[in-house]
Amino acid sequence: MALLRLENINKWVGKEQILKGVSVKIEEGQFLAIVGPSGSGKSSLLYILGLLDRPTSGSIYYREKVLDLSQTEFISKLRNESLGFVFQFHYLIPELNVVENVMAPQIKRGVNHKEARDKAMMLLERLGLKGKEKRQIFEISGGEMQRVAIARAMANDPEILLCDEPTGNLDSKNTHTVMEIFKEINRKGTTIVMVTHDLNLAKMTKGVLEMLDGEIISYTSLETEK
Amino acid sequence: MRAILFITFALLKKRKKQTLVTVLGVAISVSAFIVMSSIMFGFQKYFIQQVIDIEAHISIKPKEEFAEDRLMRKLDNESLVKALGNRPKEKDKILGWKDIIKTLEQNSEIIAIAPHLESKGVLKYGAKEKPVSLIGIEPALESRASVMERFLDHKNLKALEINMDNIIIGKVVARDLGIQEVGKKVVLALPNGETKMVKVVDFFNSGITNIDASRVYVPLKTLQALLNRVDEVNVLIIKIRDVNKAESLAKTIKREVKYEVESWQKAYLNFLKLFKVQNMITYMIVFAIITVSAFGIFNIIMMTVMEKRKEIAILMAMGYTPKEVTLIFLCSGLVTSFWGGILGFLMAFGIIEYLSTIELSLEGLLRSKGFILDKSYKYYVVGFLLSMFFSLLASFYPAYKASKLNPVEIFRSL
Repeated sequence: MALLRLENINKWVGKEQILKGVSVKIEEGQFLAIVGPSGSGKSSLLYILGLLDRPTSGSIYYREKVLDLSQTEFISKLRNESLGFVFQFHYLIPELNVVENVMAPQIKRGVNHKEARDKAMMLLERLGLKGKEKRQIFEISGGEMQRVAIARAMANDPEILLCDEPTGNLDSKNTHTVMEIFKEINRKGTTIVMVTHDLNLAKMTKGVLEMLDGEIISYTSLETEK
Repeated sequence: MRAILFITFALLKKRKKQTLVTVLGVAISVSAFIVMSSIMFGFQKYFIQQVIDIEAHISIKPKEEFAEDRLMRKLDNESLVKALGNRPKEKDKILGWKDIIKTLEQNSEIIAIAPHLESKGVLKYGAKEKPVSLIGIEPALESRASVMERFLDHKNLKALEINMDNIIIGKVVARDLGIQEVGKKVVLALPNGETKMVKVVDFFNSGITNIDASRVYVPLKTLQALLNRVDEVNVLIIKIRDVNKAESLAKTIKREVKYEVESWQKAYLNFLKLFKVQNMITYMIVFAIITVSAFGIFNIIMMTVMEKRKEIAILMAMGYTPKEVTLIFLCSGLVTSFWGGILGFLMAFGIIEYLSTIELSLEGLLRSKGFILDKSYKYYVVGFLLSMFFSLLASFYPAYKASKLNPVEIFRSL
């Protein structure tokens, strides 16, 4: 059963159609890379997959149940409990320290303060950030910020991790570290969809979806090669 | 709610300086409201209370009518002359006042009634003279129908019963005549030319300048004799159980007697109107102060919303609903206002306590040795609630704007 399925998605922004009849199925355990040049619609597709944006037409299915995007409360709950986001520029909240950033989605979910802190500490330790929990965001490096962002995305044990150019702002060493973390997360069962323009990174996933001018032009499974 | 407060406090904590300035703004406006209300209502309540205590709750007096000129026959019974004004005997008296008292005393709302004969006169002490308002009273009845004894320096009202030549004069009258102690003899001159040597046995000290500067209490019989108006009175003062019912009771009494019936509210209508204007002006000033502090809150929250668009977008991506985003910013305003209110409480309490220790010699409408303050807790409650209300109002628009932000547009613009 597909975890998420988009059917015939069209998206218009003003007079421009940025997604043209896109249909895509995200299976459980998948590690999918979406590649394509700038303006090909890959980020737009990711935002629709992440239920952050609404398509102009088409349907979105979650576990084969069609979603009504006008139900704001339900969609927000689904985003909080089942989806995690990692962006190119980490987007950590500077008013919160490292551990509080990782606690935030859990507290939103209703987890108590102590449990949220314990879980955040565990995730930070797993991502090599032990000892930096109480640091302010501006006190850690770019690579560490991105790892905090990954810890935050994983805080509620999401079913799908959606990543928009997660290594676009990192040097090669940190890029490698982040990709290893993703592979580890995926091995433990979390589905990952990653937008990237770096084909070398795409090759580290299980499947590559290529987009051009708002359309999917190819899908290459890399499962057999791994 | 925990999730909302978690983010709210983080935002406020990180912007300590701005938060502190806003909290101070709210505190100043709340304390200004409390202190100004305390001073203003302290003065007004004191004035009204004194007026209620000194003056009659309701008074009955002859109607003030325009006197018509009359044609009078001369003593020779032939020629006619034109006389100006009322007939001397007709004016200014209440006929059958003893019967009126008997009838009205049956009303359960009325505690006591006392007769007055009021006139003008002049007091002379040495080379000094002072025009005064003379009030002829029966001390036994007066002490039941008013609380004038409370305002006497020596509580010597009974002295007017013991000796018919004793009088009580206002504190300011005494000061103006140069009388510093009781026992002094003064000359009382009346409009009909009669004069009499009388003895000052007490001072009347209400604190209301215009009353203390004119009033002189004389035994009723003495004044009646001096004015050649035996057994005549021209005012009946009535003390009632509930002073707030004075106006309605006055209307009831008016139906029973043919004289003018006036409640204390009507008698002091000008002052009550003045107080209304004073309240309006004060509240306009306080409103302006609160508005400025509310704008402070509006500014800081609007700025936060504008600066924190990225964080708002990520909160939404994390699963915060637009309603929760609105609540985060509304809570920011309310928390700021709450602490501002608490600080305002403390500041106002300190200022009021300080003001009550200041010794000032004030003489205007009232004479007082310092600020007359009303320390009621209700000004604290109203000030706090007002600041919370205005803060909520000020936070609403930026909070609403925050909830309407589109996270995708924000991510794309970064």
